This record gives sequence, C-alpha cells and structure tokens, in this order.
Amino acid sequence: MTLTSPAEHVDTVVARPQPRRGVSFRDAGPPIALVVIFLAFSVLSDDFRTFTNVQNIMDTAAVLAVVTCGITFVLMMGSIDLSAPGLMGASAIAVALLVANNRNGNDLGLLGVLVAVAIAAALGCLSGLALVLLKVPSFMTTLGVSAVGLGLATLMFNGVQPNITDKMLASWAVERFLGFSYLTWIAVACILVGWLVQRYSRLGRYAYAIGGAEEVLSLSGIRVKPYKVAVFTMAGAFYGLAGVMVTSQLSAGLVQAGRGFDFQAITAAVVGGTLLTGGRGGVLHSTVGVLLVTVVINGLVQIGVSPYWQGGVQGLIVVVAVAAAVLPQRRRNQVVK
Amino acid sequence: MSTPVLATPAADVGHADKGGPTLGQRLTSFMPLIALVALLAALSIADPDFLTQRSLTAVVRTSAPLVVLAVGATLVVLCGGIDLSIAALTSLSTVFFALWLPDLGGLTTLAVIAATACIGAVQGLTHVLLRIPSFIVTLGGMSIFSAVALVISDAGPVRITDRAATEWLTLYVGGYVPMAFVVAVIVVAAIALVLRLTPIQSWITATGYSEPAARLAGTPVDLVKVAAFTVSGACAGLASVMLVSRNFSGSPTMADNLLLPAVAAIVVGGTAITGGHGSVWRSLVGALVITLLRVGLPIVGVPSAWEQILYGAIIVAAVALTLDRSKVLIIK
Repeated sequence: MTLTSPAEHVDTVVARPQPRRGVSFRDAGPPIALVVIFLAFSVLSDDFRTFTNVQNIMDTAAVLAVVTCGITFVLMMGSIDLSAPGLMGASAIAVALLVANNRNGNDLGLLGVLVAVAIAAALGCLSGLALVLLKVPSFMTTLGVSAVGLGLATLMFNGVQPNITDKMLASWAVERFLGFSYLTWIAVACILVGWLVQRYSRLGRYAYAIGGAEEVLSLSGIRVKPYKVAVFTMAGAFYGLAGVMVTSQLSAGLVQAGRGFDFQAITAAVVGGTLLTGGRGGVLHSTVGVLLVTVVINGLVQIGVSPYWQGGVQGLIVVVAVAAAVLPQRRRNQVVK
Repeated sequence: MSTPVLATPAADVGHADKGGPTLGQRLTSFMPLIALVALLAALSIADPDFLTQRSLTAVVRTSAPLVVLAVGATLVVLCGGIDLSIAALTSLSTVFFALWLPDLGGLTTLAVIAATACIGAVQGLTHVLLRIPSFIVTLGGMSIFSAVALVISDAGPVRITDRAATEWLTLYVGGYVPMAFVVAVIVVAAIALVLRLTPIQSWITATGYSEPAARLAGTPVDLVKVAAFTVSGACAGLASVMLVSRNFSGSPTMADNLLLPAVAAIVVGGTAITGGHGSVWRSLVGALVITLLRVGLPIVGVPSAWEQILYGAIIVAAVALTLDRSKVLIIK
C-alpha cells in the first residue's frame, strides 16, 4: 500500500509540458489522417458520401472495434496476440449451439452469450498462463491456442452448420437505434469499458507500465505475472464477444468466424498509434485506427478497386505504419528480431 | 510485504540463468528422433499394415512439400526471426506456376523459384533496412501475397493442362522412393553442406545467439538475414512446384493450411525459436514427425478435428522445451 500510493501520486502530479506536447502532436496524426481520407473519398465517390454508407462503415467496423479493444491491452504490454481467429471461432460455434438453434433444444438466450464469452476468456487465460508459466513467447502461445480454439470449434461444429433462430441475438445485427445497429452500440459500449479499464483500473495502468519497463516494475515489487494473465483473459473475453457478434451477423455459427481478424486488429491498433514495443497507445487510439482501416477499405471498394485487394492494402498499411513508428528510433534499436 | 515480493523475481532470474542440466539437454536434443521412432512403432502396433513399403512411400511423398517449407524457414528461425509468410507465398507461387506454364514451358519451375526468392529477399530487406520485427513484415507479407494470389487467379483454381513440366516430380527413384522426397532431402543436404563448408554456419549461429556481439565481431548480420529470407522464399517456390505436381492446378489458398505444420515441424525438430540453436536436419525429422501424426491420427481412430488442437499443444510444448531461457529474461 505505502509503496504504491506515492508512485501513483508522482505519476499524476509530475506534469511535463514539453514531452506532453510532442505526444499530443503524435496522437493527432491518425485522427487528422482519418478526416483527410474521409474527405478525399467523399470527393472521389458519390456513393461514399451517403448516410447509408456511413451506416455501413460503422456496422462493418463494429466487430473489428471489439477485437481491437482486446488486442490493444496485449500490445500495450509489448506482447502480441494471434489467437483471435481461434477464440472467435470457438465462441461463435458455442453461442450458436447454446441459444435457440436448429441443431439442439437449447434456448439459453443471454446466458448462452455469457457462456460463449467465458469459453473464449478461458482460452485467453490459457495463452496467458503458457506465457508466464512455460515462458513461451506470446506470439507462439497465442498461435498454439488459436489452433486449439479452431479445433474445439470444429469438434462442436460436427459437420452440420448451426443456424440460430434466437430472436434476441438475430435482432442485434438488424434492429437499429438512432440510425445505427445494436452491434455498433455494443462496440461503443466495449470501447467505453475498455477506456475506463485502461484509464482508471490497476489492470490498465499496469499494462502500460509492463510495456514501458517490465524490469523496473518487477524490481519495484509488483507481481507482473497475474496482470499479464488477466490481460490475456480480458482480451479473450473481447474476442469471444466479437465471435458472438459475427454469429449474429451471419445468423449461423461458423468455424471461420474470426478468419483474418487477428491481423486486421493488429493493423488497426498500429495505425491508431499503438507501438508494438509496448507502453504507448490505448483503446481510443485503436478506435481511430479501426475507423481508418475500415474507411480506407470501404472507400477503395466504392471507387472500384477489387475487394480481393483488401488484405493486400492492410498488409501494406501495417508495414508502413510500423516503419513510420520505428523510424525515429532507427539508430537506437540496432537489434530487431 | 515488500521483501518476499522482491525476492521472488530475483530468485526466478537466478534460476533461469543457470539453464537446464546437460543430461536433460542431451535427452531433449535427441527427442525428435526418439519421437519419430516411437510414433512409427505406435502406428505399426495400432495398424500392422502400416509398416509396409506402400504406406511408407505415401508418407514420405506427402511430407516432401512440408520438409522443403520447414527447412527454408528454419534458416530464418536460426537467425532469431520468424517467417510467417511461407504458406501464403507457396499458395501465390502455385498460381504463378499455373499462369506462367503455357508461356515458359520447362523453364517455369526455375522462374517460379527465382520469383519467390526475390520476394523473400524483399521481405528480408524490409526487415533489415526499416528495422521492422520479422513477424510483422512476414505477417504483412502473408496478407499481401494472399491478396495478389486472389486477384491474379480471380479467386479460383487455375488448372494445368500440360502435365509434362511437373512429371519428373511424380517419378520414383529405384521404383520405391518418390522423386519429390529425394529432391527435398537433396535440398536439405545441399543447405547443410553449404552451411558447413562456408563461414555462413558460424555467421548464422552468431546472429541467432547474440546479434549485438555478432555485429561487433564484424559478422555481416544484415546480409545473413536477407540471405536467410531469400532461401526461405526459394524453398516456398520449390514446395509450390511439388504441390502443383500432385494437384495439377494452382489455387490462391492451396498451401494456407501448411503454416502451422511447418512452424510445428521446426520447433518439434528442436530448433530454438530464440535463434542460434538448431539445424536443418532437425527440421527434416520434425517434418516427418508431423506428417506421421497427420497420417496416423485417423489410423488410431482420432477424428481429424483433433489435429488442430494437437498442433497447438505441440507447438507450445515444443517451444517450451527448446527455448533458450538464459537469453531472454523478459518474455513478451
């Protein structure tokens, strides 16, 4: 107690105007880019600047926003998470089998959603545990856990696609409130929760600190490991909810529900200004990144670029964004793995 | 309250510094071969017909593309990086092969391998010059290659009518050993020989074990890394020719499910993911182990859905066993 409170005190009191200004300029980059790109596409395409298309963009961005919320905390710690496809697949199939569906007599409703999210959170916890107990690098544990999740999903899928008949879950993707679908509002709620956790909870604060200087943190007598496991568990819960949202969009549980979302989420977070080395960025940064990526892809399709290029554009964006982020420190980091 | 908390990490670090005992290490280093023999024995007990010339031929024939992929990526892992783009690059080059075959004829194989080697070199240069972590470069590459493959193939398989160009890979040496596997072993032997006879072996090992030290000692670290990515790319090209010779078509997603087995083959072989320790021969054994598992699961009566779960568990377990803990005190 006595150890932590002065540290927090110092953290809030010491206000350094000089670096703050630099950071705020850096933070302003992605939002400015978002506005510029949005205006550019609006000029180029008539279809782009309609309210229906803005609704489309928001609906498309919803799932990615939830996934990115989870991955942001992992990236803030300086770890990496490739487990989204597996966890989303497992939760998508699980929720499709637990709510009213054509495969069995279950009709758990919201409880089913909670169970699916819990399954994904448990898998996320598994990758966290493998990281801290077996000391396996996170990109390997999450690659492994993703395969486990896909395997579980395939086992539950069992050859027959579960179509959902649950009214509540199906309405999420269709019903609108203030012009936007329920899924969009769920994503907004997730971003709010993520931001509150990041800003006000010990978990969020420590996630930053672990990314910034893990050695210092453990030498200061803070047990880092439980927080790492907790961050991976929370990320898993976010992926689980995203899997449920995909099931609601498709009205069916698919093993491939999360295909490509790991890479998209990393792209969005990095574009938003989260550093892969950890210690910088946040949920709001990543949200801007999500919108940026979604607007670019939607805009390119609207001006007539083949949708197959989608992945290629993301690949380019992420490499360029990471390169731009590490450019200032190029001389310092001689060793890059 | 604060004393025990402080003591725990300190004790932890001390423990990690010592590393494992030599006996344990020696046992772990023979583990891939032991696993291979144990698997063969278990499968022949489960199904007495398994240990016949026909099924063994089929196993080594299936394993050939995986061996080539894993061996190429092993060089990158030995340098301390990772190549996640190999499977997507292989898919892309199956499409290249199918599209170029009518124009280039017999030269297509060489053209595809040259093209993928160039693509690998570009990835290596991006990694080295822009100082981007290798897994991000190759993750980006994976996404880009899949997109290019989808666009140039119109998202569907491209059929091959002229089968003469790949016929040599479907032959059998001495009537028993599939040519594809012979080629794979020749590739492994050639890489191993080049490494042994030139200073490259020590350059790679030095880069993998300690990059700053290697740099200070005058090792051309950047060049070694680019070369590793180039070989990895070329191997992806060769693997794609092997796949085409079996499937008679090129497809933008044909090899996508080979990434996990290839990574598993490398780590099961005992190459440390942290770099430095390992060899290409180990990956050959690792690829055979993975292929046996893949072929063997249905024989034992395990549904194929368990295959994925098994890969996941194997990767995590094998990395945990082979990781060089003395080097990385903080695991991200």
